[in-house]
Amino acid sequence: MEHVSFEVERGTTLAILGGSGSGKSTLLRYLIGLEQPMAGRIEIDSVGEPHVYRGVPPFGVLFQSGALFSSLTLAENLALPLTTWTSIRGPLVHDFVQAKLGLVGLGAFSEHLPGELSGGMKKRAGIARAMMLEPDLLFFDEPSAGLDPISAVELDQLIVTLSRDLGITIVIVTHELPSIFVVADNCIVLDKEAKGIVARGDPRRLRDESAIPFVHNFFTRTTPSAPTTREG
Amino acid sequence: MSVAIRAEADGERARLVPAGTFDLAHASEVVRAVEQAERDLHASGDVDLHLFALERIDGSGALLLARLIDRLEARGLRTRLIEDHNPHALRLITLYRERRAEARPQPARRMGSLARLGVMAAAVPDMATGALDFLGQAAAAVPRAFLSPRSVDWSSLPRLMQAIGADALPVTSAANLLVGIIIGFLGVSQLGRFGAVVYVPELVVIAHFRELGPLVTAIVVAGRSGAGLASELATMQVSEEIDALRSMGFNPVSWLVVPRCLALVVTMPLLTWIGDVLALGGGLLATIVITDMTPRAYVLSTADHITGAHFLDGMIKTPFLGLIIGLIACGQGLAARGGAAAVGARTTTAVVLAIFGVIVISALFTLFFTLLGI
Repeated sequence: MEHVSFEVERGTTLAILGGSGSGKSTLLRYLIGLEQPMAGRIEIDSVGEPHVYRGVPPFGVLFQSGALFSSLTLAENLALPLTTWTSIRGPLVHDFVQAKLGLVGLGAFSEHLPGELSGGMKKRAGIARAMMLEPDLLFFDEPSAGLDPISAVELDQLIVTLSRDLGITIVIVTHELPSIFVVADNCIVLDKEAKGIVARGDPRRLRDESAIPFVHNFFTRTTPSAPTTREG
Repeated sequence: MSVAIRAEADGERARLVPAGTFDLAHASEVVRAVEQAERDLHASGDVDLHLFALERIDGSGALLLARLIDRLEARGLRTRLIEDHNPHALRLITLYRERRAEARPQPARRMGSLARLGVMAAAVPDMATGALDFLGQAAAAVPRAFLSPRSVDWSSLPRLMQAIGADALPVTSAANLLVGIIIGFLGVSQLGRFGAVVYVPELVVIAHFRELGPLVTAIVVAGRSGAGLASELATMQVSEEIDALRSMGFNPVSWLVVPRCLALVVTMPLLTWIGDVLALGGGLLATIVITDMTPRAYVLSTADHITGAHFLDGMIKTPFLGLIIGLIACGQGLAARGGAAAVGARTTTAVVLAIFGVIVISALFTLFFTLLGI
């Protein structure tokens, strides 16, 4: 990647799109500070550069698999960041954990181990854990990947709720087109050949109006509602 | 600004005015403010919660205010949220009230010691069945390997022999050399009291060739290769690679377990043989360092006492020790269920059982040879 520059407005959802090998996941690793770009700068509001912060993580991350600790129950998974980074102890931890699990519809599963949950439930639990420290910014890596359509739609609705009702800024890496049109206010499209961003804006407008062949193909090839030309 | 909730009563009506920063960083102060407000509130009718003075609110603050409202309503009070140009706070509090965990969490699975004992006892038949089932599958895989050679991943055999045999050689050699030195020192110190240092070479030969050589080598292999095999297969199991093999028509026991056990059966005698030679060197070193015995005398005495019976007594058991390590490690690996924790648990169990199995097999052989008078 060489030509990547973008801003995310507070309270909005930005989707990072692109084909396989376009650098979506690498860009996400830069954004959450797991890796450092060779050149350039990433600035997260008051945090500064993501790889240099110390202390309470300033954002939450949902990894592709949910990345829950398999030896801990859901309640223990969620309590971990809270008891590590805050002075909250005792019944209040339980209240906060239950509230977050309730928020994602998993209130009855707090004593379950991740291995006892479905893929969609693990993702929702992962979101609840990412929100435990009340971040203003959430990163999602392929949240709908591997989910059945119903679970994917439920997850999309949850993401919309988080953005709209909690005012959380969301950056989402995905190539699931149905999800993009539901959750994203804006998107950037990465292209392997161009080594950077080839289009940006409202995904619905890009789908309908973009004259860039790569972007047009990207949106129309797998979008059921996209206009198609049929001959004969 | 400090966190506070002003409670103002007006007859049967009351106003609650939270003010300040209601976020996670101030959660303890918010909790105290909420408790104080509940104590100060003496209304018996309507309670209005005004949101205009909130400087900042996040999910934790909204949750604590939502639960305050819940408790007030549980006391029979009617509550109203007054937005006061703070729609964000209103949305957050409303969301946490709507999305409270309605279903009660299942109680934590804490069992008494008697119940745990019962659960462990109840699991024994299943464990025995599983072990016998695996043993049966492994036994059936042997003739299948001859009848249908393609059922076994023969191409992995050189790599496995390298990993289990050649790569383990430094550590098994070092262990055997040190054990030889230990037997030598022990022999010199104990036999020397009776002027019988001349018997030290025979002691080293008999003790190491018959018992300690195979045992030490097997324990090192069980700890090193047993753990490696168990964690490899357990990882394959939890990442669905074993299921993928099954779905493609492979029998995982034939494909994976047979070459691993075979590699252990072949390499264990070699590792033990090299270990025996190094142990003789260790015994020689210990003896000539602290006694007047010459190296030549030690070597000649050793050569006199190395008999086929001593050598074969030890070597004959080594393939069985390799087999038991392979079966236990592979069996535990394939039995893994769940995630990363299961891999660790099965690996630990595999090493413990393999070491125990090695000792049991070794003891059975010793008993057998003793009964035969060998």
